[in-house]
Amino acid sequence: MAQLDPTALDLPLAAPKRSIRVGRIRVPGWLALLLRNSKSRTGLLIVACVVLVAIIAPLISVAHPNDFNLLAARQAPSWHHLFGTTDQGSDVFSQVVVGARRSLLLGALAGALATLVAAVLGITAAYVGGIVDEVVNLLTNVFLTIPAIPLLVVASGYLRARGMWTMIAVIALVLWAFEARILRAQALTLKNRDFILAAKASGEPTWRIVFGELMPNMISRIAAAFVLVFYISLLVDSGLEFLGLGDMSATSWGVTIYWAQVNSTVLQGEWWPFMFPSLALGLTVLGLVLVLAGIDEVSNPRLRTEHKRGRIVALLFGKATA
Amino acid sequence: MSTLEVRDLSKSFAIGGALRRQHVHAVEDVSFSLQPGRITALVGESGSGKSTVARLIARLYDPSSGSVLFDGGDIARVRRRKEVLRYRSQVQLIFQDPFGSLNPVKTVRHHIERPLRIHRIVPSSQIDERVHVLLEGVGLVPPEEVAAKYPHELSGGQRQRVAIARALAVEPKVVLADEPTSMLDVSIRIGILNLMLKLKDEHDIAFLYVTHDLASARYIADDILVMYAGQIVERGPVEQVLAEPLHPYTRLLLAAVHGERIAERGSGASAAVDPGAGCRFVTRCPLAIPVCSDVTPELVEARPQQAARCHVTAPAN
Amino acid sequence: MSAVATKTLLEVRGLEVEYGRVRAVDGIDLSIDTGEILGLAGESGCGKSTVANAIMQILRPPARIAGGNIVFQGEDLVGKSTEELRRFRWRNVSMVFQSAMNALNPVMRVGDQFVDMMQAHERVSKHRAIVRAGELLELVGMDKGRVRAYPHELSGGMRQRVIIAMALALSPELIILDEPTTALDVVVQREILQEVESLKRDFGFAVLFITHDLSLLLEFADRIAIMYAGEIVETARASTLAAEPLHPYAQGLLQSFPPLTGPRVKLTGISGSPPDPREQPSGCRFHPRCPHCVPGNAALYLRQTSERPRLREVAPDHWVACHLVEA
Repeated sequence: MAQLDPTALDLPLAAPKRSIRVGRIRVPGWLALLLRNSKSRTGLLIVACVVLVAIIAPLISVAHPNDFNLLAARQAPSWHHLFGTTDQGSDVFSQVVVGARRSLLLGALAGALATLVAAVLGITAAYVGGIVDEVVNLLTNVFLTIPAIPLLVVASGYLRARGMWTMIAVIALVLWAFEARILRAQALTLKNRDFILAAKASGEPTWRIVFGELMPNMISRIAAAFVLVFYISLLVDSGLEFLGLGDMSATSWGVTIYWAQVNSTVLQGEWWPFMFPSLALGLTVLGLVLVLAGIDEVSNPRLRTEHKRGRIVALLFGKATA
Repeated sequence: MSTLEVRDLSKSFAIGGALRRQHVHAVEDVSFSLQPGRITALVGESGSGKSTVARLIARLYDPSSGSVLFDGGDIARVRRRKEVLRYRSQVQLIFQDPFGSLNPVKTVRHHIERPLRIHRIVPSSQIDERVHVLLEGVGLVPPEEVAAKYPHELSGGQRQRVAIARALAVEPKVVLADEPTSMLDVSIRIGILNLMLKLKDEHDIAFLYVTHDLASARYIADDILVMYAGQIVERGPVEQVLAEPLHPYTRLLLAAVHGERIAERGSGASAAVDPGAGCRFVTRCPLAIPVCSDVTPELVEARPQQAARCHVTAPAN
Repeated sequence: MSAVATKTLLEVRGLEVEYGRVRAVDGIDLSIDTGEILGLAGESGCGKSTVANAIMQILRPPARIAGGNIVFQGEDLVGKSTEELRRFRWRNVSMVFQSAMNALNPVMRVGDQFVDMMQAHERVSKHRAIVRAGELLELVGMDKGRVRAYPHELSGGMRQRVIIAMALALSPELIILDEPTTALDVVVQREILQEVESLKRDFGFAVLFITHDLSLLLEFADRIAIMYAGEIVETARASTLAAEPLHPYAQGLLQSFPPLTGPRVKLTGISGSPPDPREQPSGCRFHPRCPHCVPGNAALYLRQTSERPRLREVAPDHWVACHLVEA
């Protein structure tokens, strides 16, 4: 994964801040760059669709997702129930579109929280160095060595309140260290750049250097870390719920899959309560992965140039056939 | 009256692990002073420690020993933020790489405005005006347009001018220029050197010009310091030193740029790891005598104003 | 050797290289004789490295040769097949890049890198190749035991010598040096160039020496071509150019190097900076920076700003592209 390479410069994504005109609409520079890359364009499109569905969920869901109607139970997908119904007769389509709200919100918030903690701690530690760095590093390593999944299982099993905020806090707690390590490594390569030294020499206070000079240069890496944690928390959250460790009264993709599994619907040939939420989850993660790949390609010119340089050397030494 | 004086400045960097800790003596016993309205050139090859000297004076590193005297106090020992800030407003550093010394995500205005605000040089209402005056002063016109640009929209020479304007914003008494032209195109180097000459005269600034290029040192400097492996091996008025160099290393450098055939095989001027006694240059020196390997020579004034660290050409009495 | 000394080895005619829509090299002519050192001087972005890459045919897309010929020993290289070019590279023409010393593989011994390179071009045993590598290292002034060294054990100057030794390995007729010593210290730089010069005398290869440092060329090159904004503006023997440069850009470049002896005079250099290749000035590309381009002389000013000057021979072996010289 190239976003783990801390030495790459952020120039293309960070520098051309000016908005770019696409037709009649003015688009911020970074978005225009991402839209020009085919991977992130596809990814953004997918994610935008899922988000749109989540936003308009109350309008398109046929019934309340947890309404049950034993007369309409276990129906295969039809025009009336697009994604079929569960063994309780709840509409799976409604569960999927309404569940998207909780799943996305949870993923995004957990991602944002973890990124915030990671960026502040990782970058500050890298820049300040010394004892601060040692402490943050120790903390990071402790959290990295704690096996994440068992911790999650144990934490969510013990915690009484299994609401959304608890889940967000638990996931962020487990994932921030992972990100902090990436961001700290990149900040370390940036902190000895001349422009940071120049800011220091001109008397800028530390917090301004960290947040005003360093951080804007790492925006694409922070964005990449956010997207990464976003989809990992989506998967982790659904996984926990699938194991029955989430908030089972909520409506989310994981919960729908959990009930499908508990009632062994697939064994009875009813694939739909299992298939559709899983597809929704897979599609969202795919979209986010593509966005991440796009950010990588746009922000890391070495991904392209190194490839070419390799070719030149190969050509020179007569190894290339192309 | 000197503006800034450096006394016995040394800096060593530890390398290796805890068991085999060694020290690279990047800068060793360096002493000199900077005078207002004069340019002092600090010449040496890469690894000679010349940039480290500039960075020590700029307080980007803490010296291992020695002092930097400015305004009557030893600033190497100053810790209080207010005093550090005051020093930083009077001693400015210009970096070698104009592509690295400006923050790529900030406009030109930001780079010049920040020092003005940090050190409260002018009231807030006059900041825009001052930014424009400074940009015009370094030949960047029209200033309104340039101020709104990002570094990547400027050429190398223009970026270096921005860096110079930033240094001048705080009305410094001392400017440390660390190879300010070496990354620039040949045809615009002279422009930057001429700008430094002009600013020196207009603002009566004491300049330290760090370079590896003897010819440009001769072009703008009044005095010269030649560094080799962390030590100053020769100092004096630039014309005099380049016309009649004392130290064999200065002679070697001159021979190289004059295009004479060079007999010896260079091994570089890098700082030594835990050096013992003896002259650092002895392995490359055509004049070496037995004492050179055993005793480190002192900087001895062998001619009026001109001193060298050499047992042969500048022997101690 | 002396019988073929004046034979043309490489001739570049009307070469045009485009990066997408940007024309980086716009119709240049060059020729290199056997055993000659031709210097190509210019500022960053003037297209001098692109010329080298075009000759080696290693332009990377989107760069492509849009027109012209590159004739090497009577054969046009443009349009040759990949396999023919592969054999031509390194055997006939080798190249040393600016950052070449960083191009050595850090985890391979120097000798093994020679073996790889040689085996890619000819059937040679590993033992034979290592012995040859040792000989080559001695040629460039290194100890032959260094074949066992890893790149990090060598200084920058040594690594650059290794690269030069590799460039010599297959005895090519032409070696292209693209800013070979820019990253090195003056003393080391001087030593390496002296080494190249004496090797050239022994082996008779020709050198295309590309640099921004005109003062180096004045010393080491036989002939010098000066490039500005994708064009060649002046070509002359080194001594001629030093004594009487005719193009105002060449004059300005020579004026940009402060002297080490003689009186300390104020230099002017050249005002402004090189143009953006995407927006080349009309007419003579140097006119916005030219001290002799003033609206006062209306007829000349019109020509300077609207008509591209052609490269003409104004004296034997002295070519200039400037309206002032023609007039």
